[in-house]
Amino acid sequence: MFSRRNVGRALAASLAIALAVASDAARAQTVQPPPPGPLRPYIFPAVEQFQLDNGLKVILVQKHTLPVVEGRLIIDAGAMREPAAKSGLASLTGRLLSEGTGTMTGADIARAMDALGAQYSTGAGFSTSFADVVALKNVFPQAMALAARTIIAPSLPASEFGRVKNQALAAYQQSHARTAGLASDAFIRAAFDSTAPFSRPASGNLTTIGTLTRDDVVNWHRTMFAPSAATFLLVGDIASAEARSVAQQAFGTWTASRAALPAVTNPVRPSTATRVILVDRPGSVQSSIVVGQAGFRATDPDYISMVALNHVLGGGFSSRMNMNLREKHGYTYGAFSGLDLRPGAGAFRVNSEVRTNATDSALVEAIGEYRRIATEAVPAIELQGMVNNLVSGFPNSVQSVQGLSGSLQSLIVWGLPLDFYTTYREKLSAVTPDDVKRVAASRLTPNNVIVVVAGDLAKIEAPIRARNLGTVEVWDQNGNKVR
Amino acid sequence: MRLRYLAVSLLCLATANAGAQAGKSPELRIDYTKETLPNGLTVLYHVDHSTPVAAVLLWYNVGSKMEQPGKTGFAHLFEHMMFKGSKNVADGQHWALLEAAGGRAGADINGTTSWDRTNYFEQIPSNQLELALWLESDRMGTLTETLTQEKLDNQREVVKNERRQSVDNQPYGTWVEKTEEVLFPDNHPYHHSVIGSMTDLSNASVADVRSFFKTYYAPNNAVLVVAGDIDVPQAKGMVQKYFGPIPAGPTPPPLANMRVPTTVGQEQRLVVQDAQAPAPAIFVSYRVPSAKDSRAPAISLLGDIMGGGRSSRLYEALVRRQQVATNVAGFNFGLADGADMLVFTATGKPGASPDSLEKGMLAELAGASSFTQSELDRARASERFAFVDGLQTTGGFGGRADRLAEGWTFFHDPNHVNKVLGEFDRVTLADVNAVARERLVPTNRAILLYVPVRKTAAQTSSTRTP
Repeated sequence: MFSRRNVGRALAASLAIALAVASDAARAQTVQPPPPGPLRPYIFPAVEQFQLDNGLKVILVQKHTLPVVEGRLIIDAGAMREPAAKSGLASLTGRLLSEGTGTMTGADIARAMDALGAQYSTGAGFSTSFADVVALKNVFPQAMALAARTIIAPSLPASEFGRVKNQALAAYQQSHARTAGLASDAFIRAAFDSTAPFSRPASGNLTTIGTLTRDDVVNWHRTMFAPSAATFLLVGDIASAEARSVAQQAFGTWTASRAALPAVTNPVRPSTATRVILVDRPGSVQSSIVVGQAGFRATDPDYISMVALNHVLGGGFSSRMNMNLREKHGYTYGAFSGLDLRPGAGAFRVNSEVRTNATDSALVEAIGEYRRIATEAVPAIELQGMVNNLVSGFPNSVQSVQGLSGSLQSLIVWGLPLDFYTTYREKLSAVTPDDVKRVAASRLTPNNVIVVVAGDLAKIEAPIRARNLGTVEVWDQNGNKVR
Repeated sequence: MRLRYLAVSLLCLATANAGAQAGKSPELRIDYTKETLPNGLTVLYHVDHSTPVAAVLLWYNVGSKMEQPGKTGFAHLFEHMMFKGSKNVADGQHWALLEAAGGRAGADINGTTSWDRTNYFEQIPSNQLELALWLESDRMGTLTETLTQEKLDNQREVVKNERRQSVDNQPYGTWVEKTEEVLFPDNHPYHHSVIGSMTDLSNASVADVRSFFKTYYAPNNAVLVVAGDIDVPQAKGMVQKYFGPIPAGPTPPPLANMRVPTTVGQEQRLVVQDAQAPAPAIFVSYRVPSAKDSRAPAISLLGDIMGGGRSSRLYEALVRRQQVATNVAGFNFGLADGADMLVFTATGKPGASPDSLEKGMLAELAGASSFTQSELDRARASERFAFVDGLQTTGGFGGRADRLAEGWTFFHDPNHVNKVLGEFDRVTLADVNAVARERLVPTNRAILLYVPVRKTAAQTSSTRTP
């Protein structure tokens, strides 16, 4: 089987192009692949919008194929809004939201949600704090009303604070017991200026989480949670009238207010040459490698071209990274690239888990692919195949309510218009090899990238140094330079 | 909750769902048409025009339980070879053609291997249905015609990397293989893991691939599902055109004796020193009735009541009250023949003593048989939701096509998908209590305790008692 992680969300809508791919491949073949039949149209479902009296924006997408509804409230109160010294505060608050309201304990809430068979979670990521409910249609209004109480009037109980904080610390330790977690943290710390919210993990770290108090959490909720800063996404088997009544019932009484905040910036760390950062994880039989750079936004004029470039380099299975590192060399189970977009600025990077004794060779290949796409024109047939993958595959990704809500949330977080998907497919289909060449030349700097490797340094450090890939630094697991 | 797709893929312990109420299951029906080709291929058609998406999905009735001694991991390695080209499809073209047609790598196009079956699927825009059928038929009919040592060597390395990524380089990564080694006797087909051992993978040969293909990869040992935005007469024409000419294979050899005694007979306890683990973790696993047994729904509900979600007994006891753990789970694997494994797990708080984690877990398990109706109702609501949630997709992992194929392969009943909710509805409190009393006994369990160590370059080592 084949699995992937850390790949940018494939957004695309599909109009699709009947593409005759096979020409190149067909040389020695006796039978040609059958051509596609007539294309059936796909239209992204209507996006309805309304607002409650308290200013809460509601977005509704109806989908009536199965009796499933999702309600997702997102607030502009993600980790990007927290001060560096309190890194992890949004996330910790998100965990504590579900631990009680004025009338119910956390255990009561869990039992009530479970009795409804509702999938319910609260939390915070980099861009938003959220509460999410997915449930069968008949119980959805009840589950959503309860979830809303945990956003509007959580008790954030002192009795549970210590335990939940320990869970946050444990989650950090578990994710950093993996090479991928170590490499990811080192990359953002190296690529972004230390004032950039995206230079730190949304979870916070052991030191900052350790200093957080219940007062911090209460203040964060009081000052940041307000309907004017939130959007309520409703997706699934629910009609307009009922959606209005559910939204009103759940959030109509929410009266908190908050001043508008300036847009988040994520300043990139200036750099003139490639840095190679090594993080030790003794005993590793594989290393996590990352190569990339900071500074990409969905609102950039060349964003669509960048999406196409990413897909050619590492967005799919037959993309260059995977064909090289997995199918040609057998260094890995999978190699990919991803455009990790964030408000302010995101990152573009390739990544793979590679076997320890091939780490240096895999790095050379990964950097080589990065350089090749940055400097050489992409053949039209290759570009067409990968673009068509995004364009035609879109309906597959929005068959579920979760797929739909995820697509819509991306638009909101990235600052794109809600009608984005109605023209995106045409724009993507129109990308030419020249467009890719232009965006590569203007955005990618293959001689000035961040390279991160987390693995067993006793085995991999010397071979990597011998490759002369750039200035080598060794960091500890907390991002401090050791040598 | 039953784990679907644990197979050789990532270990997802965290998916524990919510529980239940005396509500009613929704009225749902997945309609299908069944036909059998003269070569023995069973085909199920399911129509859904709500999105212009079609799914092609094949389940071959072969899994790691058919592997011979010394060849562990072979069914899965073979699955990888199915993506390396066949007579009319060059190496790399299976992916290139399907991705250009709009299938997303992984979610829409993939293959997976479990103990009991191997599946292959494509979810594509409906106008590309014929392409997917052609590709599947070409590899079913001609895979080994273009097989080379080089292709095998490449995928052997890929699979070894897959093993490193999911097992050897992960904290607690060995728990599945250690658990099945203890719960099933030596030489039982479920005794060894799907991913297999590095040594056996190294020994796999081109001749092994040819012989496996001849033995198991034939139309009479598979079920094909064609689902979604399709016209059934037209789809039948395509299936006839591409799969009709493939000759039937010999009848596959009979399955080894899968029967095991009701219980293991003796408690096994294994302590694993894990250099990569930041905190202790415990896995307590029991031998239980298999997925084909009428008690299977009660087993899944028992897993939910104990460890599914934040109102489960283990969460309340170990996470909320004792605070020795940071998360818990309870689930079964859904093994089809002989017996299944029911697992309860808890990850300790960093710094927590492994002892307190183990004591807390075992104390809860000792009291696991006097359940309440509301506990059962919560568990049932969770299963009900998870089932309907999974039906949202046409193809891919656990979608409607997958459910149809599962029903045919395991139960010889394509209508099984329409009975699942009813089976959960019929389970009574007495059923769950009875199976808990019979199976959740110390002499029927394996205790696997992972203990963090801080040694440089330490490999995991283990000690076993008794």
